[in-house]
Amino acid sequence: MSAFEGQLAGWMTPARVAKSVDKSQTIAQLVAEYSTTLYRVAFSVTRNAAEAEDAVQETFLRVLKHESRLDEVRDYRVWLVRIVWNIVLDRKRRAKTRPENEDIADHARALPSKDRAADATVISNEEQARILSLIEKLPRREREALLLSAVQELTTGEIAAMLGTTESSIRSRIFRARREMAVLLEKEGIQR
Amino acid sequence: MTSERNEEIEKMDAVLRAIGGAVPDPGLEGRILHRLAAARTSAEAGTAPLVPGRRVPRFVGPLAGFASAGLMCGVIVVGSVRHSHEHRAGEPAAPPVLQIQRGGVGAASAVRPADPGTAAPLPASPAARGGATHRTAQRGRARIARQTKKAPGVTVPVPARAGSPQQ
Repeated sequence: MSAFEGQLAGWMTPARVAKSVDKSQTIAQLVAEYSTTLYRVAFSVTRNAAEAEDAVQETFLRVLKHESRLDEVRDYRVWLVRIVWNIVLDRKRRAKTRPENEDIADHARALPSKDRAADATVISNEEQARILSLIEKLPRREREALLLSAVQELTTGEIAAMLGTTESSIRSRIFRARREMAVLLEKEGIQR
Repeated sequence: MTSERNEEIEKMDAVLRAIGGAVPDPGLEGRILHRLAAARTSAEAGTAPLVPGRRVPRFVGPLAGFASAGLMCGVIVVGSVRHSHEHRAGEPAAPPVLQIQRGGVGAASAVRPADPGTAAPLPASPAARGGATHRTAQRGRARIARQTKKAPGVTVPVPARAGSPQQ
């Protein structure tokens, strides 16, 4: 069984859903509904617009490959996020390097205008890079929970389902991550 | 101190919001759908039906590859065995004979084995040997009898006597 089929098996209902749906129509609907969310999840790891988009496309290609089993999936959002998450982590492991060209500044510009105005006045590009480098220093579990919690559309329950743990565990990971980040930021502030 | 810390935390939250609220380039959905359509088309082209209306299962390609590879191996083995059997039946097993050219220089002038029928060493007939030659061994040294018959045209050097002048 491939990794994808393993992912698929985890999110299937025991029995097939009786109603038959047009698969290509379903995939188009999934693209319309979840592509932005998937992009944000991918971007939280890659921090590169092109790589994030490529990961999203790869996700839907895998969906297409297994489209005959689409109607067995219980929760499309969690299932798709899990696929894209595994894709970007796998690519990151292969690259074994931190992203060299981070597009945070570009995407800060692409934020909705009210958010951009609020954030642009507070942080510069250098500060963004500094904070991101500190996030990279966090332990893997805490870092993943923190990054996924930043994705607007994902609830704690969905993150827990995606990472295969409980909501309370995710909450404690996020808490630990924030506490650790506060310490790191404070140290950085003293050293500067 | 606390206000500074809060400020740093706020900055971190702003960065996380920037990541979590990243907006893809316009037309992402269209590009995804286009790529999906291209993938679907290539997949259908890759499994073009041999019989109209019937799609070839995915395992047929690898299966055909393995079958043809196995067939080739069988042909090679059978051909090799038949070849070796034919040689044993027709000709005696003889080592390859190197023909040394007299005018050549060293091993480089050796040519490939000639026709075994002409170049193989033949046993010398009694006539060619010049009749009876008696070779006796005494104390580890071979001696040739004086009365040995020579083949016609063969000259025998006369052993030099002791004390005679050398020419």
